[in-house]
Order: sequence, then C-alpha cells, then structure tokens
Amino acid sequence: MKPINLIWLHGQSCSGDTVSLIGASEPSLLDMLTGILPEVGDIRLAFHPTIMASWGERALRVLDDAREGKLDPFLLIVEGSIPDEEQAARQGGLFCAVGDRAGKLVTANELLLELKDRAAATIAIGTCASFGGIVAGKPNPTGAKGLMDFLGKDYRSALGLPVINVSGCPASGDNYIKALAYIALMVRGVITVPPELDLHNRLKFLHGELAHHICPRGGYFAVGKYSYRFGDPYCMVWLGCKGPISYCQVPRDKFAGHLGGCTTVGSPCIGCTEPGFPDEPFSPFFEMAPAESLATGVTPGSPHFIKECATAQEHLFHLISRRI
Amino acid sequence: MARQKIEVDIEPLTRIEGHLGIHAEADMDQKKYVDAYCYSTMFRGIEVILKDREPADAIWLTQRVCGVCPTPHGTAAALAVDMCYHAPPPPFAVAMRNMIEISEEAYDGALGCGILEGPDYSELIMSRLNPDIMAQANRTKSSRIDYHGYETIGDIMRGLNPITGSLWRKCLNGSKKGIEMASLMGGKHPHVQTLLPGGVAKTTNVKDLETFYALTARWIAFTKELVCVFDDLLDFCSVAGLDKTGVTPPNLLSHGMYDDPFAYDAKYDHMSAWGEKRAITPGIVLNGKLITTDLVEIQVGTNEFVAHSYYEETPAAEIECDPLGNKLSKDHPWNEESQAKPGKEKDWQNKYSWAKSPRWQDWKRRVDGQTHVLEAGPLARMWVAALARVVPEATGTSFKFTLPAGAVDGFRVPQELALEWKIPKTINALERIRARAYFHAFSAYHAHRIFAQAMDLINKGQANTWTRYTKPEEGLGVGMTEAMRGALAHWCVMRNGKIHRYQIITPTAWNCGPRDQQGRPGPYENAIIGTPITENPSNGKLDGIDAVRTVRSFDPCVACCVGVYTPDGQIIADRDLEHIH
Repeated sequence: MKPINLIWLHGQSCSGDTVSLIGASEPSLLDMLTGILPEVGDIRLAFHPTIMASWGERALRVLDDAREGKLDPFLLIVEGSIPDEEQAARQGGLFCAVGDRAGKLVTANELLLELKDRAAATIAIGTCASFGGIVAGKPNPTGAKGLMDFLGKDYRSALGLPVINVSGCPASGDNYIKALAYIALMVRGVITVPPELDLHNRLKFLHGELAHHICPRGGYFAVGKYSYRFGDPYCMVWLGCKGPISYCQVPRDKFAGHLGGCTTVGSPCIGCTEPGFPDEPFSPFFEMAPAESLATGVTPGSPHFIKECATAQEHLFHLISRRI
Repeated sequence: MARQKIEVDIEPLTRIEGHLGIHAEADMDQKKYVDAYCYSTMFRGIEVILKDREPADAIWLTQRVCGVCPTPHGTAAALAVDMCYHAPPPPFAVAMRNMIEISEEAYDGALGCGILEGPDYSELIMSRLNPDIMAQANRTKSSRIDYHGYETIGDIMRGLNPITGSLWRKCLNGSKKGIEMASLMGGKHPHVQTLLPGGVAKTTNVKDLETFYALTARWIAFTKELVCVFDDLLDFCSVAGLDKTGVTPPNLLSHGMYDDPFAYDAKYDHMSAWGEKRAITPGIVLNGKLITTDLVEIQVGTNEFVAHSYYEETPAAEIECDPLGNKLSKDHPWNEESQAKPGKEKDWQNKYSWAKSPRWQDWKRRVDGQTHVLEAGPLARMWVAALARVVPEATGTSFKFTLPAGAVDGFRVPQELALEWKIPKTINALERIRARAYFHAFSAYHAHRIFAQAMDLINKGQANTWTRYTKPEEGLGVGMTEAMRGALAHWCVMRNGKIHRYQIITPTAWNCGPRDQQGRPGPYENAIIGTPITENPSNGKLDGIDAVRTVRSFDPCVACCVGVYTPDGQIIADRDLEHIH
C-alpha cells in the first residue's frame, strides 16, 4: 500500500490551523503520521513549511515531485486565504510567494493550479482558506478569498470531490483530523460514499448544527435566564453571542483534548466559522446579533439557515419585548 | 588571489512561522559568514482591517496576526484596551489571564525546542551536514541519562529526527498538553476567546482550576526531562565547536510578564510600579549591564526606523507627550504613520525589507543617550530578571527555582528538581535554545504558583472575573508583555470610540529588522556575520545550515507573509501598515 502524502500549502495564513491540528485527539496528529489506523496505513507529511526538516530548494523539490505524480495519492491541504493575483499583476507584482524556484518566485496561486487536478482531494483548512476570513475583512486590501472561490464551484479533485471546507478560526484539531481521516478512508476505498456537504461545502458531520442549539447554556436560554455580566453562567445572547448564526460544534465538543469551548467556558461566540466573519453581523463582537441580520442571514438562499434563523429571531424578539 | 566567496540565498526558510529570506555571504578562506541580510517580503493588512473598528475587537483580531503565539497578542491587546477604556480587571481575572498566557508557554517552549529548532541538531541533519560531529556524538555518553533515558548524545540526536524520533514525539505531545491547558482557560487555542477589557469572559469554576492543576503536573514532569536532555545536547554541541554560531552582544530587552493580581490597575501613571511587580521583571541590558526596569522608560524610548524598510518617514509627531508629560518622538508607535514606499528587491544599499528597525533610545541618558539595537527572547527575559534581583528567583548571576515533586506515568523524574539557569558567558544559538527550555521550566513552576494564588482568591470569596466599565470616547493604550520569542507590545490610539491607530512591535521585529539609519545590522544579521561555516560545500554550494541554525535559534515568527514583487524586482504594496511577527 503506497503512503498517502499530505501537501500542505500556506496562502495568507497565520499557521493557527497547523497549531490547532497538534491539539487533535483520536486520532492525534502523531497517530495519523505513525499509521495507527490499519486501513489507512502510512500518511506522510511530504510538504509542510512549519514542520519539515529541509529548507530552501530541497524543500521545494517535493512540490515538483507531487506535480509529476511521484507522490500519488496525495491530499492538497490549504491553510490561509488566496489573494487576487490579478489585482497584484495590475500593480505589476504578486501578493503571496511561497518560495524561490530556480531564481524565480513562485506564488501559492500558481502551485495550487499546478497541483489541483492530481490531488485526490483538496481540503481548505480554517476560515481564511474556506471563505477568506480575517484577511478578507473590510476593506480586504489584497482581494483575498477562499479556495473554493479561487478554484471555482465546478472544480473536482481526482476523487471527484469539490473543495472541502473545514472552517473555524481555527477549527478544532479534532475537526481537521476527522475530515482528513474521512478522506483518507475514501482514498483507501473503505468509505465509498462522498461526505454530505452543506451549502458552503462544509462537512455536515462537522458543521451541521448551530452553536446555539448545542450550547450547554442552551437550557438557560429555554427558561429565559441570561448573563448580563461576563462571568455569569447563563445564556449570553445579551453579551453579543453569535451562536444563533454560527454553525459550530465547539460548544458541545469543546476544543483541544475536549477541554474548554468558547460559550462553554463563558465567552460569547464571535462567529469565526462563518462566511462574512469578521465583518457585520459578527462584529462588533459585544453587540447583539441584530434581528435583521438574523432574518437575512449570512448565507442568503439557504432554506435551512433561514428556518433556523427565524426560530432564533423569534426568541430574540421575545427577549427584546421582555427587556422593554 | 581573490578570496573564495559563496553567496547563500535561503527561501523558504522552513520550521519557522511565516516567511523570511536570508542572503548571506560566506568567505571560504576564513570559513565564516562575512555579510548577511535578512528580509521579510510580506504584506499584511491587519492594521488596515482594524482601523475604525471597536478597540475591544482588537483582542480577538490581533491574535490572528499569528497562530503560533496568539495568546501574548491577545494579552498585549487586552492590556492596551484596558488602558484605553479605563477598565482595570479584578485580581482574580489577572490570575486567570496569567493562566491563559502561561499555558501558551507550555506549548510554545516544547514546540520551539523540539519541533522547530531541535531538528537542526538531529541525526537526519547532522549525519548529512556535520558527519564528524555526529560520529563524536555517537561516542559521547549523556551525563544526565537518569533524567531523560538517552544513553549517548547520538541517541538524543536520533530522538530529534522529525516524526520518527522519540524526543520529537515527546515534544509534540508536550506541546499538545499546553494547547489543552490554553483551551481549558481560553475556551480554545490558538486564538483564545476569553480575554476581554476589564477581565476575562470565563465563568469561575473550581473544576476547571483543578484540571489546570493536573495538566500543570504533567507539564512539570515533562519539562524536567526537556531541560535535562537539552542541557546534555547543548553542552555537547558547545564543546563540539558549534559555540561560535550566532554570537551577539548582550544588549537585551524584556517587557516582563505575569502581572501581580494585586498590583495591576491598567493605569499608565502606575505602570512603572505594577511593571516592577511582574513575576518576570522587565528591563533593558546594555553591554551586559542593567539600565532600567521601568516599563514607562522602555515604552517611551521605543521607536521604529525605516531607513532600509519600504516605508516613508513619519512626517511629524501627532502625540507629542505621553500622559506623564514625557516627550515622544515622531517614530514612537503612538505616532508612526508607516506609509509604504515600495522599492527594489534585495537592494542592500537602500530599502530591502518590509520589517522596520525597532531601536530603543536611552532618553534618560543612563549611558549615552543614543539609540540601541536590542535583542529579545527568553534569554533576554531571564538575563534581565536575573540581574534585576527583584524577584526571589533572581540571584544577580542566575535564575534559580525548584520544580515540585510529582510522579507522572511515562516520565522519569518524580522527585523535586532544583534548576539554575546561569547567565552565559556568550550569547549564541545554543544558549538561545537553552534559555527557551529553562523558560519553559520556569513557566511550569510559576503555573503551579498561580493555581495556588487563584484558589486562595476563591477561598477568600474574591472570584469575580470582570469589572463593568464605562467606555470613554478618547484613549491611549499600551500593552507590553512577552511572547515565548520575546518582547511584544501593542499601542492603541482611540478616537470617537473607534480605533484611530493601532501599532504592534513584535519580538521578531526587534530581532529580524534590517540595518538602521546608522547602518547597524539587526540582531539576526549581526548574529550571522562572523558565524563559522561547519559544513563542506558541495558543487560550490552551501546548504546554509550555520546561518539557518543561527536564525532559527531566535524562533522566528513572521506571520501572514504576503510579499509583493514585480517580475523585475519592484516591490509594491498598498498604503498599508505592516508588521513582522
């Protein structure tokens, strides 16, 4: 059985998703690399700028090998947003260089286009790679966008999959590793069904529920008990929690080692898994999600979303009338 | 006869956070590097994105500057916003903030030593580039084998091989435990969620504190081995001839860290006093001598210069004095304009880096009244604190503390372990790594104390985590702390309740900045110049391991790297501000 190679490219990233992956459990990052899963076998981290031993030319040669098919099957994993290189070209330059190839700088965008068709699957890790994230926050100086927008809605990998988004700023390592494990099992033919995706190409088993619905503080919401001060143990909608408009499992599954969890420990959700983050309606972070933003939603056109929001909105109107 | 020179260009430099280029010139007759330029070719819009937003939101947004050391960014932002909003947190919240920040050291120290820098001394690299040293390592017995279990230095080096090495794996797991601690207290990590003006957004929960306590015990068990194994490795490398790699003079900066819950009140007027009460004393060392421990003196003297950076000079000072009436230069971060001024690539005589050159001016004329190049990092941090002798661990020549006993399955040292980090004779790449390992250990020791402090506050009924505040319209804030890799500060100017100007100077900016207006190289460049070549060239080329070891020993963190090049070498960017992380 040939190893599955991981080619991990950084666009406009902060490496937070790499660090988050270290926090994964069952399997852990190390488990994946040492091959504890019998059907998955060897997984090799062929290219990862933060972890790999080599540097300079020697490091970049790995990408040539991948392009030439010497590393098949490989998964293309992208962390960080993709800048608008056409905008850069109009200014006579380029925005995001990954390295120096034979004296010429090579961009993340070029490498993605070289590798996308050969990749068994292409996975966007984190909100920047998924939707542009903070780098695309107003006024988005580099025209940053997510990988799905860059490669196009019709893009399909060698396994016939579109770009798979695992959003979150960063998402928990558990989410990343579960997504990777699913794809690795597909590569091996153990799983034959493509994963079910939401409208934003996120895996439904990771992003199928609103944070608000699975929050341990949800019971307080149901009985109308609210936190009015930070540190109070109740529902935090008044403190600006964006749980009602964010699809995220963290309140229930928590974070690294299944510890913490944003709303779980007492911090309002800021909506970091969503397209449109960090702009309105997610910020200012302490401001309550406005009713109209709930009605239009951050994902116009999604019947599921609008239904969920209508429910949340009803609750909020209820709250507002109580406050008055 | 012309001297034989080899030019070394390294890009990408891996095993660092972000994007950094090195251009160095090796003189093969003298067998050393004789010239070096470090450049960051990146563009970041975080400050542009911050402008006109809610100042408090900076606590969340600025962490996204860097996923490797987000928590110190969050802490610095929280301190700056506390000051802008006049929102001092209650004592328990300060203890909680310390717990959040210290958790990151648990992860970052293990990552730095074991995953990022350690592999430069692994068998994989050594056997290829320094085979003689490798052979010698295989013959050399470890002196602390009972503490870590590696019989020879060669075994330690094999342990550091990425992914397959047992020590590499242990460090990855140690690192993971730190991320778990930070998730516990911060809700998540990277990018913790619970820091907030006036306190923390965390419901007090004794159960969480006990989990923190248990994880600290594991951290202590791990760091005992980490320090011992790195002591053995670094002692050997030092004798084997790597002690001349990355030498710099003792001009050091530390902002200090871990605030005293009863001293910190978020007031600029009292900053000198509460700064002195930090568990790690802030300060500046010039030429080996402690000059000051005063945070106000440090921050007022902090300026950034752009002689070799792609920016316009700031025309004039908008804010002439700090709130205490001390004069501020136009290049102080409360004033800096940072208009980008694109220039040619690798134009060493002119502008060549997006990094600026932070320098500290001795404005109180303690030595010479001049500006100085300072190095930041765990070595600077412990050196300053050791000389200051404000905290009980400081002896004037060393930093001494005892890790408590605790038998943790899978670890070898259940008994107490007394550690002493001694101020080294020379600063070099090896001593930077050693300091990182010792600071990891010190933080474990301190985490154990913070737990006791927090429990004590709970028992006294002072478990309040947040104080309500009334946000003013105008404000000035500065938040100074330390990331694992050194001194970090955020400066915020608030106008009409929104961010008017936000500046960040990171430790990597202090260390990797280009030459300044007087032509003085930054610490990275200075450290490469004079470093001996230990590898043999193949086909007239060098891998650059010695330059790489030098730069990696600073633990660079160059986030959100977005270089803007033209095909003919022009570098172009928007008007935006940019910082190196």
